[in-house]
Amino acid sequence: MSRRTTARLGRYLLTFALVVVAVAAIYPLLFTVISSLKTQYGFAEDPLGLPTAGVTLENYVEAFRRMDMPRLLLNSLITTAGGLVLSVLAALLVAYAVTKLRFRGGKAVFLLIIITLTIPSQAIIYPLYQTVLDLGMSGEYQGLILAYAAFGLPLGTYQLAGYFQQVPDELIEAARMDGAGHFTILFRLLVPIATPALAALAIFNFVWMWNDLLLPLVIMGGSDSKTLMVGVSLLSGQYDVSVPLVSAGLIVALLPVLIVYLVFQRQLVSGALAGSGK
Amino acid sequence: MTISTAPAPEPTSADRTPGTARRPARRHRHAREWWLAALLVSPALALAVAFKLVPLVRGVITSMESSAGFGGATFAGADNYLRMLDDPMVITSFRNALMVVATLPVWVVLPLVLAVLIHQRAPGWKFFRAVYFVPYTIAPIVVGIMFRQILAPDGPINAGLRTIGLDPLAIAWLNGRYSALFSLVAVALWSFFGLGVMTYLAGLATIPDEMLEAAYLDGAGFWRRLFSIVVPMLRPTVAYWSVLCASGVLIWLFPLIYALTQGGPGDATMLPEYLVFLTTFTFLDRGYGSAIGIALFVFVAVLSIFSVRHMFKEGTRKPR
Repeated sequence: MSRRTTARLGRYLLTFALVVVAVAAIYPLLFTVISSLKTQYGFAEDPLGLPTAGVTLENYVEAFRRMDMPRLLLNSLITTAGGLVLSVLAALLVAYAVTKLRFRGGKAVFLLIIITLTIPSQAIIYPLYQTVLDLGMSGEYQGLILAYAAFGLPLGTYQLAGYFQQVPDELIEAARMDGAGHFTILFRLLVPIATPALAALAIFNFVWMWNDLLLPLVIMGGSDSKTLMVGVSLLSGQYDVSVPLVSAGLIVALLPVLIVYLVFQRQLVSGALAGSGK
Repeated sequence: MTISTAPAPEPTSADRTPGTARRPARRHRHAREWWLAALLVSPALALAVAFKLVPLVRGVITSMESSAGFGGATFAGADNYLRMLDDPMVITSFRNALMVVATLPVWVVLPLVLAVLIHQRAPGWKFFRAVYFVPYTIAPIVVGIMFRQILAPDGPINAGLRTIGLDPLAIAWLNGRYSALFSLVAVALWSFFGLGVMTYLAGLATIPDEMLEAAYLDGAGFWRRLFSIVVPMLRPTVAYWSVLCASGVLIWLFPLIYALTQGGPGDATMLPEYLVFLTTFTFLDRGYGSAIGIALFVFVAVLSIFSVRHMFKEGTRKPR
C-alpha cells in the first residue's frame, strides 16, 4: 500500500519535472512573442512579460521597414536551399561510391570526408574567407552555398553511408542483372529506401544552415546578399531599438525554421530513430 | 542433412563455367567502375579539399607569419605560438573553455533523464518530445538576443525573482565575473539539450522493451533502471553525445557570445573561438589569429577524433 503510494508520488514528481523543463523551454519564446505584440509603453508597464491590453502589429511593420526583411529572407532562402541540395547530393554520390562500388581507396575517401568534421569553421575562419575571396565568391551566393555544402558534407556522408551499408549487396546485384544502371540503382532503389534518413538529414541541414551566423557574417559581410541572421545580429548592436521591436525581428527570423520543424516533426523523429536503429 | 547439401555443389559448378568465360568482361567492368567511382566522389572531395583542407593548410602557413594590419606578411616561425604562451587573454580563454567543458556531466545526464522519462511513456510524452526540441530550432544568434532581453537587469527573470521575494538573487546576470560565464553556459544548454534528448531517444529505441519491463516488474526503481540497464545498454549513444558535446561546447558558443557578452565583462566570457574572430577581424592580426585558430583546431580535433572513429566503423561495417 505505502509502496504504491510512493510509486505514485514518484510518478507525479517526475511528471512535474517534465512540466518544469517544458515551461523553461517554451517561456523565452512566449515572452518574445508577447513582447513583440506590445507597444513600448505596454512593455514598460509589465516587466514580467505577461500579456497586457492593447495588441499592436506596429513592431512587425517597423522591423520589416528597418531590416529590409524581404531581401534578407530571400538571401537566406537561396543560400540555405542551395547549400542543402548540394550537400545532400554530394553526400549521396560519395556514399554510394564508397559503399556499393568496389574500388581501391574507397575507405580512404570515406575517412577523409568524415575526418573533416574535426575542422570547425571557427578555427579556420580567416583562411576560409581568404579562399572564398580568391575564388572571387566573396559576397556572392555561390561562395556561401559551397561553404555550407562543404560543412554539411561529413555528417551527411556518414548517415547515408551507414544506411546504404544496411542494404544487402545481393539486392544491388539483382538490379544490375535486370540491366539497371548505377544511377537507376541509386535514385530509384536506394534513395527511396533511405528516405527517412534523407528527410532527417535535409531538416537538420536546413536548421543549421538557416541559423548559422559565422559563415555568412564573414563571407557575405555587409553586402546586399547578407542572410537574415546577419541582419538580426545587427540588431544586437543597436541600443536605441526597443525590446518590442527587436522581439518582432527575432520572431520573423525564427518562424521559418519553427514552421518547418512543426510540419516535418514526424519525419524528423522517425528519421532520427531509423538512422541509429542499427 | 544429405538433402540439404546435395543441391549445393550444383549451382556452384554451374556458376563457375560462365564465370571463367566472363572474366575479361568483368575486368572491363572494374575499369568502368573505377571511372564511375572517381566521378561520384569528385564533388564531395572537391568541396572537402577546397573549403576545409586548403583553408586548414593555409591557416597553418598564416599562423607562422607575422602579419598585422594591412601590411604584407613576413615569416615568423613559431613566434605566434610562443606569444600565445604568455598572452593572458589566450590563457584566460582556454581556461574559460576548460571551465565550460567541466559542465559536461550536466550536458550528458540532463537530456538522458528527460529522454528516459519520455521513453517510458510519461503522460503527455509526445507533447514533451515536441516541446523540448523547439529551442534547438531557434538560431543561436536569436537565442542570444532573446536572452539578453530576458536576463537584463530589469528583465523578466529579475522581475520574477523580486516578485517572489528573492531580491538578492536579482543580479546583473551578464555583468558579473562568474555569473556571465554561468549564464552563457546555461543559455547554451537551453539551446542544445533538445538535440541531446532526440539523440538519446534514437538510442533508446534500440533497447528491447521487454528488458525494461522485466526490470520494472522485478521492482527496480527509476534510478536503478536508469543506471543498471539504460546506461550500460546505451553506452555507444552516451559516448557519442558526450564527445559531440565536449567538442561542441567549444564551438557552439560563438553566436551566443556575440549577442550576449562580446567576451566581457573584461575577459570573463572570452573563449578561443571568439578570440580567433576578434583577433583576426577586429584587431586585424591575421597571423596571430590563425595561430589561435590552429590551437583551437587541435583542441577540438583531439576531442572529436573518437566520434570520427566511431563513425568510420559504423559506416564501413557490414550488416550482420
